[in-house]
Amino acid sequence: MSAGHGDTGASATMAKLKELLHRSENRICADCSAPDPKWASANIGVFICVKCSGVHRSLGTHISKVLSATLDKWTENEVESMIEVGGNSNANSIYEAFLPEGYQKPHPDSSPEEREKFIRLKYELQEFLKPSLRIVSHQTSDSGKHAGGASHSDGSKSEIGMIEFIGILNVKVIGGTNLAIRDMSSSDPYVVLTLGHQKAQTSVIKGNLNPVWNEELKLSVPRQYGPLKLQVFDHDMVSKDDLMGEAEIDLQTMINAAAAFGDPELLGDIQIGRWLKSDDNALVRDSAAVVAGGKVKQGVGLKLQHTESGELELEMEWMPLNM
Amino acid sequence: MGIVFTRLFSSLFGNREARILVLGLDNAGKTTILYRLQMGEVVSTIPTIGFNVETVQYNNIKFQVWDLGGQTSIRPYWRCYFPNTQAIIYVVDSSDTDRLVTAKEEFHAILEEDELKGAVVLVYANKQDLPGALDDAAITESLELHKIKSRQWAIFKTSAIKGEGLFEGLDWLSNTLKSGSS
Repeated sequence: MSAGHGDTGASATMAKLKELLHRSENRICADCSAPDPKWASANIGVFICVKCSGVHRSLGTHISKVLSATLDKWTENEVESMIEVGGNSNANSIYEAFLPEGYQKPHPDSSPEEREKFIRLKYELQEFLKPSLRIVSHQTSDSGKHAGGASHSDGSKSEIGMIEFIGILNVKVIGGTNLAIRDMSSSDPYVVLTLGHQKAQTSVIKGNLNPVWNEELKLSVPRQYGPLKLQVFDHDMVSKDDLMGEAEIDLQTMINAAAAFGDPELLGDIQIGRWLKSDDNALVRDSAAVVAGGKVKQGVGLKLQHTESGELELEMEWMPLNM
Repeated sequence: MGIVFTRLFSSLFGNREARILVLGLDNAGKTTILYRLQMGEVVSTIPTIGFNVETVQYNNIKFQVWDLGGQTSIRPYWRCYFPNTQAIIYVVDSSDTDRLVTAKEEFHAILEEDELKGAVVLVYANKQDLPGALDDAAITESLELHKIKSRQWAIFKTSAIKGEGLFEGLDWLSNTLKSGSS
């Protein structure tokens, strides 16, 4: 159920959508001309920026069905109807056919109110459409008049406090070696990963100091992120679980390198960054961030800290969300 | 109110605090609801790629309200926020009838999560201001709420834009949490 792991039919559908999105006419928002739009109104057939998508969403799905070109799974029908419209130029030649001369469309920095006014005129009231094509009912034109009534006048209220994800971190906890003893002669280890407010943990492996998990844990990464904290615990039935060591993992190497190199699907297999072993970190050896098979990955070997012994192997994969 | 009861009360609710997750499909109105509850006004929103978290004080309970993004590919990460949750507010766009089946499936998937076993469920049948919005009875049926066993739930018709129904829902939530029978 996670992103990008659909069957081949689904990925072919998404590939078609991506192809349409990458046509030059669709590289700017249909409504405000902001570069690199990543959202779309699937029923209208336009690619739009995230700010305009906010206004489209407020119109109701009977007028505009907003989907993300990168974060949502599209059905074949939805993609086909986008292709049928044929992109932003075609759509605008219809929806803006009668745009009055000298009319100022919103620009990328326009306020939410300016955007809302234009978008409602364009799609809800269909003011700029060839008159014979208009299918606006009285009811919807009435609701269009409250533009500005819903939102208050002091602008810049969007994005209030939002903690924005910049991507998904997939951590495969491979296994541990020579872990510390916390019970009579062994331990029942499990791994806890903490990033900001999130925690994810592996299952408990009973009585094993060299456990193999091969478990994938997923964490979402906010724009402001710190190191990924890893802790190994010994599971106890009766008392509090005992710490068997911990380590911190620097995510910046991989995330910054991935941002600098761009879309990994367009790259061959190369090394894009390196996190060096030093006295200040828990690395067992230098750790390389690479692109392999169109994915950004980094293998990490860690010497557990604040404990007698133990090493842990991980493989991280980074999936940027490309807002 | 005796001292024993007070102690019991604060231990149950961590000094009358409750952690609430607001979940639902993309564009259900989760962020608009959060800020309507917190600031009492309608804000212009963009899709939440991540989360918003705010504290809402109501009926002597401090609700820590987490609003998590609803796009298809970020729904799997809701589970990162499940531990220690006392209540789920599940938000439905009552006018988006095409996606009610998806809304139902996501809803029941959440209810099966072990970590949310003890959480009570409040459903907001939102966007009642839009034409063609289904009412609470129709949403109850679409979401198959009658299938919910051994858990307290309620549904309210809401319009975050008009500010209707939200606090009625929160009244139910605070009473249910206070009675401790969740």
